[in-house]
Amino acid sequence: MQSENGFYGQYGGSYIPEILYSSQQQILHAFEEAKNDPEFLAELNQQWQQFSGRPTPLTFCANLTEHFGGAQIYLKREDLNHSGAHKMNNVIGQGLLVKRMGKKRVIAETGAGQHGIATALVAARLGLECTIYMGAKDIERQYPNVFWMKQLGATVVPVTTGAQTLRDALDEALRDWSSSHEESHYLIGTSCGCAPFPEMVAYFQSVIGNEVREQSVAQFGQFPDRLYACVGGGSNACGLFLPFLDDKEVEMVGVEAGGKGLELGEHSIRLSHNLGQPGIAQGFATMFLQDDAGQLQETHSIAAGLDYVGVSPIIAHLAETGRINMTYAMDDDVIAACTLLLKKEGIIPALESSHALAGAFKDAPNLPKDSKIVINLSGRGDKDIFNVAKAVQDETFPQFLTDYLAAYPTNHADNEEQNA
Amino acid sequence: MSQLATFIAEKRQQKPILSMTHVVYGYPSVEESLSWMERLMQEGVDFIEVQFPFSDPVADGPSIVAACHKALEQDLNVETCLSQLGKLAKNFPDSRIVLMSYLNPMYRFGLDKLAKRAAEENILGLILPDLPIEQAATYQAACKTSGIDPVWLVTPVTPPDRLAMLASQASGFLYCVARSGVTGHSVHEGKAKQTSLDEYLAQIKQHASAPMGVGFGLRERAQIEQLIGKADIAILGSALLDAYNKGGQEAGIKLIRDLF
Repeated sequence: MQSENGFYGQYGGSYIPEILYSSQQQILHAFEEAKNDPEFLAELNQQWQQFSGRPTPLTFCANLTEHFGGAQIYLKREDLNHSGAHKMNNVIGQGLLVKRMGKKRVIAETGAGQHGIATALVAARLGLECTIYMGAKDIERQYPNVFWMKQLGATVVPVTTGAQTLRDALDEALRDWSSSHEESHYLIGTSCGCAPFPEMVAYFQSVIGNEVREQSVAQFGQFPDRLYACVGGGSNACGLFLPFLDDKEVEMVGVEAGGKGLELGEHSIRLSHNLGQPGIAQGFATMFLQDDAGQLQETHSIAAGLDYVGVSPIIAHLAETGRINMTYAMDDDVIAACTLLLKKEGIIPALESSHALAGAFKDAPNLPKDSKIVINLSGRGDKDIFNVAKAVQDETFPQFLTDYLAAYPTNHADNEEQNA
Repeated sequence: MSQLATFIAEKRQQKPILSMTHVVYGYPSVEESLSWMERLMQEGVDFIEVQFPFSDPVADGPSIVAACHKALEQDLNVETCLSQLGKLAKNFPDSRIVLMSYLNPMYRFGLDKLAKRAAEENILGLILPDLPIEQAATYQAACKTSGIDPVWLVTPVTPPDRLAMLASQASGFLYCVARSGVTGHSVHEGKAKQTSLDEYLAQIKQHASAPMGVGFGLRERAQIEQLIGKADIAILGSALLDAYNKGGQEAGIKLIRDLF
């Protein structure tokens, strides 16, 4: 979606410290040139295909369709990307842009660690130095991802300011960029931040919706009647929705994280029920969860990838104009939707994507039998093994952890042996 | 000339370089921060740059970030802050307060109202580091109506034509950021190449008719001396906060006496 000087209605823009002006302009121009350069686009498509495995399938879910007895349910399988999530589409695009700009280092923020891993993968492949900022609390919660980032050669910096989560990691990445802008690129993971990041990330993610346009016509002879996507920062939603923007008959539903309840701090609902308010922070204008004094607030979701305090200015604008309908799913509904997909279709969804499932499953029984809905399965759920085990109260999991720890060769034990 | 520029010009008749000392409002408590400001003005600092805290201060380094987060453990109110600053400043006619914050809390308060209320409390300058001049038309107009100055920042990597534009728009004073990076000491220091400060300030002076303030990374007497004749105001931020954290008001005052 083309912005007007970086704005989408009242949202977007570029509100950054003066020190970043030149670097921001450089990205703006590099992206403009790159997206009009056939060679860049050919390279992008080749990397998408050969490194990430695109195109991803559109999978018909016969059992779920029968189960609900309403709309015919299809999944766009972004979980089958390399790294297991749609994040790859964007990091490949920006990675190639970094090479084009001649920069040697990338900085990224990450919440759950999915974007951090995707960035580390691409940095390794393109020979770029890589620094990942991650809240100290998120590092505790998502250590397996941290482990892989380190193995991939990235430096993972724990952020200990504020709430020590994604928002603080983003602040710290901006601070790094303020001093390292000459040789470093800030590789933002979602369609947020100062212009041109929202537009650029949405552009790279639009490969999702563009594929669905072709696949839907090929597989069922029409565009989908409805599209569903979870909305954290908003990049997978932008990716699926934007290519259908002008097809007025295609309805779009964005699903935010209802978390544990609608009290401030319990959820990440920014775009419905008057819970978010317009604000300008972290480089752009959008709807933020904030108090009356304009201080940004804590958020919660069972899915770490959805608990961002702001949201893509593109989604905020399209929600405000009514082009996208916003709804939310509570943590409990999300686990139920995740479990249902596992049992009925043999697919392990990420908890983020399970929000889109939960939103769609609520509507599906009431939709006509000949209608077709496409749900963006933005990521796979392997990474959620600890959280899902806890949520379904798996009885054997704690024993597994205990046994694993008992058998884990620590340095401490090794030293003792050596000393003995 | 604006009220702020006039004040600076008059003061500069008596001193080779003016001091601007930074204080985070509400740190460690509202009362203690007001008491610290009072002490600084008793000491004769020319300006206090009062930072109204924001949860996500992206242009600041660890010292100021930590102070802002500590301050926000209380509920802080812009209106109360402005009234308190105004009341305090009345007793010190030889000093001025300028207000610094990030855009969001001020945007929520209302930029028109902010300009009006600041002027009423004799706060003659406003610094909003994340509001670029391109998005600032209504804010500029509001400041003009109220007779106060928006303070723009320039940096060593600001392109020449933009530097000329910003310098020509500056009225109260121009905030010249001395180096890349965030305020104070941080892990992010020293990655960008350094331009000569003298050369940089000379470049700005070509375009700026307004007074020039220099900040970011000032910690030593030699740095202040280097600015004499090239700038009007030396801005002391994180270094003062670090001294205050180490030894309270006394340590802060000692630093100021060493530097100015």
